[in-house]
Amino acid sequence: MGRLNSRGERTGMKEKFASRWDSYGLPLLFIVLLIVFSILAPAFRTSFNLISNFRFTSFIGIGAIGMAFCIMNGDFDISVGSMLSLVAVLGSSLIPVLGGVAGVLITLLAASFLGFVNGVFVTKLRIPAFITTLGMMFIYRALAFIYTNNTPVYISDKFWLFIGNGKVLGIPFAIILMLLCYVGAFVLLRKTPFGRYVIAVGTNREAALLSGINVDRTKIIVFMLVGLFIGIASVVISANLGSANPGMLGQGYEFQVITAVVLGGTVLGGGDGNLWGAFFAAMIITFLKNGLGMKQVGSYWQLVAIGLVLIFAVAMNRIKYMLLGTKEV
Amino acid sequence: MKKKFVVIFVALLLLFVVPAFLSASKGGEQPKEGITIGFSLWTMEFTFFQNLEKGVRDACEEFGYEYIMIDQNSDPQKMVQDINSLIGQKVDGIVITPVDPGAIGPVVQSARDAGIPVTCADIGKTGPVNALLISNNYHGGELAMEYIAKMMKGKSNNSKKVGVGRVQPQWTYARGRGEGFMAKAKELGYEVASEIVVNPPSAEGGYDTMQQIMSAAPDVVGVFFASGREAVGAANAVKAAGKDIIVVGYNGDPEELQAIEDGVLAATVAQQPWFIGYESVRVMKEILEKGKEYEDAEVPVKVELLTPDNYKKWAAEAEKRRGAPAY
Repeated sequence: MGRLNSRGERTGMKEKFASRWDSYGLPLLFIVLLIVFSILAPAFRTSFNLISNFRFTSFIGIGAIGMAFCIMNGDFDISVGSMLSLVAVLGSSLIPVLGGVAGVLITLLAASFLGFVNGVFVTKLRIPAFITTLGMMFIYRALAFIYTNNTPVYISDKFWLFIGNGKVLGIPFAIILMLLCYVGAFVLLRKTPFGRYVIAVGTNREAALLSGINVDRTKIIVFMLVGLFIGIASVVISANLGSANPGMLGQGYEFQVITAVVLGGTVLGGGDGNLWGAFFAAMIITFLKNGLGMKQVGSYWQLVAIGLVLIFAVAMNRIKYMLLGTKEV
Repeated sequence: MKKKFVVIFVALLLLFVVPAFLSASKGGEQPKEGITIGFSLWTMEFTFFQNLEKGVRDACEEFGYEYIMIDQNSDPQKMVQDINSLIGQKVDGIVITPVDPGAIGPVVQSARDAGIPVTCADIGKTGPVNALLISNNYHGGELAMEYIAKMMKGKSNNSKKVGVGRVQPQWTYARGRGEGFMAKAKELGYEVASEIVVNPPSAEGGYDTMQQIMSAAPDVVGVFFASGREAVGAANAVKAAGKDIIVVGYNGDPEELQAIEDGVLAATVAQQPWFIGYESVRVMKEILEKGKEYEDAEVPVKVELLTPDNYKKWAAEAEKRRGAPAY
């Protein structure tokens, strides 16, 4: 981790602080948040509220996984909010014909396919990811409107609703699903060659290419992963709302997940990242909003608070690098 | 350098923590006795909702209820989380003005499972709530058409064509405005020559839609725009085109009253947001204190046609009640 500073004996301590901040900074921030709001608002610390918040974390938490891969890979996907809306209305509208299980599977497949389309545009046509996904953001949203004639799809299928609202042994299924997604993604990123390719491509595309990595294929798979996790998130969210609304679903969602990923310590521009950081960041955002809401802090002030936490976390990274005596990543 | 970072760090920390503590001193910590009403509101961005919120707040004050308001920020996900958090705070009753009425089903169910009655103030609902307080939208649309027909009497232009700028289809209940208007048009022998959903729902959207209506049906004599700012946009488009088309709006927003004063907008159908808010708490009071049964009841609230003749009086009354100028 970083370089040693050769100026004196305090270097060891700085090193320690820096590496500890990496591993424990966000969990610590999260715990501080829990303690502060538990003292301030008695209703905050009830198990009902804490579990609900944990469940709501899955809204952004699951979507953030794919985005983390994408950003580590040096790209961006801002079409995810529109994509979420499109696949939710598509999948849920097919429930009466095909049933809930098939509806969910089609949602996941459609989302992966849309990710594939994004990936092909970025790699084969060499259009920058920002432009491609900006265009797709409009197209997917418009298709959702056109497909539904701007009317929400109401969901009453038990299986679909279970994914967002059901419980297994008293634990909300959305929480279990989110944790499974994170474990799966962690294994994929850290224990497989594909995970190393993602990091390699994000660090230095040319070098990756020269060392024989199929850069285009890696990128396309990453965009498909973004799609897959958006598909999962879209089922969870629409189940929670009991409907899929083409205009309302996923508005501003792209910024929520990007915020979680960046707050989680993944550096824009690619190279390396922190999946669990994204997880804790999603927790922090959700619990912070809830706690501030309980204290009757206006919703615009809540956005100010989230902005400040984001800047604070990034500033902490700067301080870390400064302590390590390196200028940048 | 290092000092600078430390200073920035501390400043940010303070900035983040201070609002939380400041608000803590504002109260909400009192031991719970009495009745607490939780209110989840679409947004505070528009006058309409500000007035509605005032109605809910005034009613709570009058009945001696504790009042908790959470702004949905126009985000259905946040709405669900907020209502869930109200359930967690064990409020006694929940009033909702939903940004997406289609998305309250599951969370309203869990509130009612927890024994908390729910009333909806305006917009709409899915699934059973205790009561929905909403303007008589269909009648409002009829009033608008009647006004256009009345104004056309004795005019030399005998075209019988009218146009409609409709609201977003997901606003299920507001759709009634367009439906009432079109039914009345048919009854009075008018033809709806152009009917377009205003998109985006804003003044710009209204302007744009009106231009489309004028190209699709150049001989329309009157149009009804089923929402406030959209109607003002449409009226300005008519003015810019130099045409003589009667534009009627819906809501009674300040922008509309101003446009009536300026002679741009012909009339509007005014809703009574303050009253809708007040009534939703009054119904809640009947449920909570008198044990009155409300199950999926729809309580229509009166609407009123505002023309250049009567809008000033209406605005003055509204101002007196709300303590804020109507425009």
